[in-house]
Amino acid sequence: MATTISPRALPIREDGEGSVQVHLDPAEKIEGTLVVAVYGKGGIGKSTTSSNLSAALATLGKRVLQIGCDPKHDSTFTLTKRMVPTVIDVLETVEFHSEELRVDDFVYTGYRGVLCVEAGGPPAGTGCGGYVVGQTVKLLKEHHLLEDTDVVIFDVLGDVVCGGFAAPLQHAHRALIVTANDFDSIFAMNRIVAAIKAKAKNYRVRVGGVIANRSRDVDQIDRFNDRVGLTLAAHFPDCDAIRRSRLKKCTIFEMEPTEEVVAIQNEYLRLAQSLIDGVDPLLPEPLKDREIFDLLGYD
Amino acid sequence: MQLTLWTYEGPPHVGAMRVATSMRDVHYVLHAPQGDTYADLLFTMIERHDRRPPVTYTTFQARDLGGDTAGLVRAAVRDAYERFRPAALLVGESCTAELLQDQPGALAQGMGIPVPVIPLELPSYSKKENWGAAETFYQLVRTLCAPLAPAPGSARLPRATGTAPKANLLGPTALGFRGRDDVHEVTRLLASLGVEVHVVAPLGASPDDLRRLPDADFNVCLHPEVARSACDWLRRTFGQPTVQTVPIGVGATRDFLAEVARVAGLDASVVADAERREGSRLPWYSRSVDSTYLTGKRVFVFGDGTHAAAAARVAVEEMGFALVGLGTYSREMAREVREAGARHGVEAFVSDDYLDVERRIAAAAPELVLGTQMERHIAKRLGIPCAVISAPIHVQDAPARHSPQMGWEGANVLFDTWVHPLMMGLEEHLLQMFRDDFEFHDGAAPSHLGGPARRATVEAPAPPEFDAHAVVAEVSIDEEDAPADDAPAPAQPPRWSTEAEGELRKVPFFVRGKARRNTETYAADRGIVLISLDTLYEAKAHHGR
Repeated sequence: MATTISPRALPIREDGEGSVQVHLDPAEKIEGTLVVAVYGKGGIGKSTTSSNLSAALATLGKRVLQIGCDPKHDSTFTLTKRMVPTVIDVLETVEFHSEELRVDDFVYTGYRGVLCVEAGGPPAGTGCGGYVVGQTVKLLKEHHLLEDTDVVIFDVLGDVVCGGFAAPLQHAHRALIVTANDFDSIFAMNRIVAAIKAKAKNYRVRVGGVIANRSRDVDQIDRFNDRVGLTLAAHFPDCDAIRRSRLKKCTIFEMEPTEEVVAIQNEYLRLAQSLIDGVDPLLPEPLKDREIFDLLGYD
Repeated sequence: MQLTLWTYEGPPHVGAMRVATSMRDVHYVLHAPQGDTYADLLFTMIERHDRRPPVTYTTFQARDLGGDTAGLVRAAVRDAYERFRPAALLVGESCTAELLQDQPGALAQGMGIPVPVIPLELPSYSKKENWGAAETFYQLVRTLCAPLAPAPGSARLPRATGTAPKANLLGPTALGFRGRDDVHEVTRLLASLGVEVHVVAPLGASPDDLRRLPDADFNVCLHPEVARSACDWLRRTFGQPTVQTVPIGVGATRDFLAEVARVAGLDASVVADAERREGSRLPWYSRSVDSTYLTGKRVFVFGDGTHAAAAARVAVEEMGFALVGLGTYSREMAREVREAGARHGVEAFVSDDYLDVERRIAAAAPELVLGTQMERHIAKRLGIPCAVISAPIHVQDAPARHSPQMGWEGANVLFDTWVHPLMMGLEEHLLQMFRDDFEFHDGAAPSHLGGPARRATVEAPAPPEFDAHAVVAEVSIDEEDAPADDAPAPAQPPRWSTEAEGELRKVPFFVRGKARRNTETYAADRGIVLISLDTLYEAKAHHGR
């Protein structure tokens, strides 16, 4: 007779132990480069923020690679001035024989030499966004692009809707969260904090800070930050120049240098410099849904 | 992935071995089971190297898997360094060891070995041999040259006046196709323009030679399968331009010289002068009277990307052959080969399945196959003449004599090696055609030995009479058996009368298969069950129209 082992006798295991799936394939690991992932609620301005941040880093002399991870594939639009084909589009043309691809097929040089890649996404309702990100990183590594890059910026779609779209967190050192001073986007930020906390068990990713966007005031954000242990990394007011730059297909650095625009440029440059200098890792504790309602309420 | 008996390329660690074996003062520690040591023989047996490849295998066995295989790696790295004292150490794993996830490269890097330790991450299950060679060469070049790199964006200093331009020849490796001889020819070609060869790599280079690469004015990428990624990096990092034309054939050699002259800043007239002085016999041999029967021969080309694309051009533009098929097993070179196919009016294909290649060759019914050793086997089975133009190589492809593919002399070699099998084929055809002749049958003594030694005693059996009535009778029986309504064409292929079969044998063997298929199609379309002599000639007339 086989003895039954009581569940109590089993050692308590960390997330990912005993599974080969959870740990990242070492071939996909990005070494020697600062990797930043930008998250936030849908429509909050992640792509605009990412592109302006890339432009700021490039202005400071860094070699920057921006990877858009949104099926909408317009992350690098203001850098390249056009909608570039996605990695998945290009892979389809060679029936997923990635060996046939050349760098020029999926990497486009944008403003101030920022290298732009749109990972694209699976057809709506099917496939896996994590797979797409994984394939993109693999391709960039195979073509040795990451070895000659100082900063990689992942611009990730909307909320963390599934494990797949959390995939960039496995590659990132720092996650930046873009939010506005309202309940919905702070609620989304809370979920992102929870996702990063889960990933941080196995990966080096840590929260780097919060970017307040399109907000004159930051009182709600501050209240949440104080409670969970986050800090504000940058603050961009609701400025029409940013909206117009998007319409003009350009970054904020290419806009008429009015006083307002220069202030925003300087804020981006300050954020870029702080990332280069190294921002301290934050270990925020996400709130339960109940608690966040109590904290911020319905305004 | 699929199970196969044979492949065009090995796993990527074999590519890394090719680079390590090509070089001096480099050692490769390979985390691999005992069985993987077979790869040594590729170099010692096929290419007749006089020493074993500089590879130390960890040779783990089944019983080691229960223990510390990572410890095995550390011991192997330490012992290999102590024993061989290389100037650079490559550390990687074979396909089998990849599953153990010991990360031998990272282990070795942390051991304090006092020479550059280059970890090789070669994904065995998604990449192949040439990719492995390219990645290994790239990592070596990058590791050894990166400390010498100028600040990004700084301009390259112009060449000092009065000094000869210097070029690196990048790409030739062990187990390549005629690499040794091609280096010799290309060195001669460059010398004819007054360009010096600075470093040849990987073949014969040491790590110190690789550190000298950035001093050259430009790089010549002789084998893009192996050297493209390294050339691209040297261009990005040191501003060294790359000459990309591979000088296989007369036209490509001219283009190569023109590109070198342009990149080296020489006057364009030096190219014509160089050809006047040296040049190839291929153009005249191709035009000469006794070669006119080669014109329009149907040729099928398959090989690695570089050699297949080059062969397509030479076949069409320089030999006057008709290209009926073009393919490669090099996915990385699919673009170039497809472009070559489009230029010569065929749709090129990419395949690493030799059975697929065989099907395509049979369907194209070529008169000459230019391929690898596998296509030589295929052509033999199909009874088609063949010449070998590309790796993977066989002991025959590492000849003692000088036998290049590149440059002017290479073009001469191409003419000879491609045309001789066709002439042999014709002789074979003549032998078959006249084998029943009274002078040439098997029993006849050779005419140059004087006098008939013995008569053939066995009378050839009289060919059976062609009985038209019998055929008609058979046909009518068949018709009676057939269902009354409009039956579809019989599934059985039409049968051949003895007489028609005999006549078919007179058709040259290299078009016989096609003649048989055409006749059978013609017969089947018309519901003819038995192919007579008349059917054969009617079919010939029909297809001739």
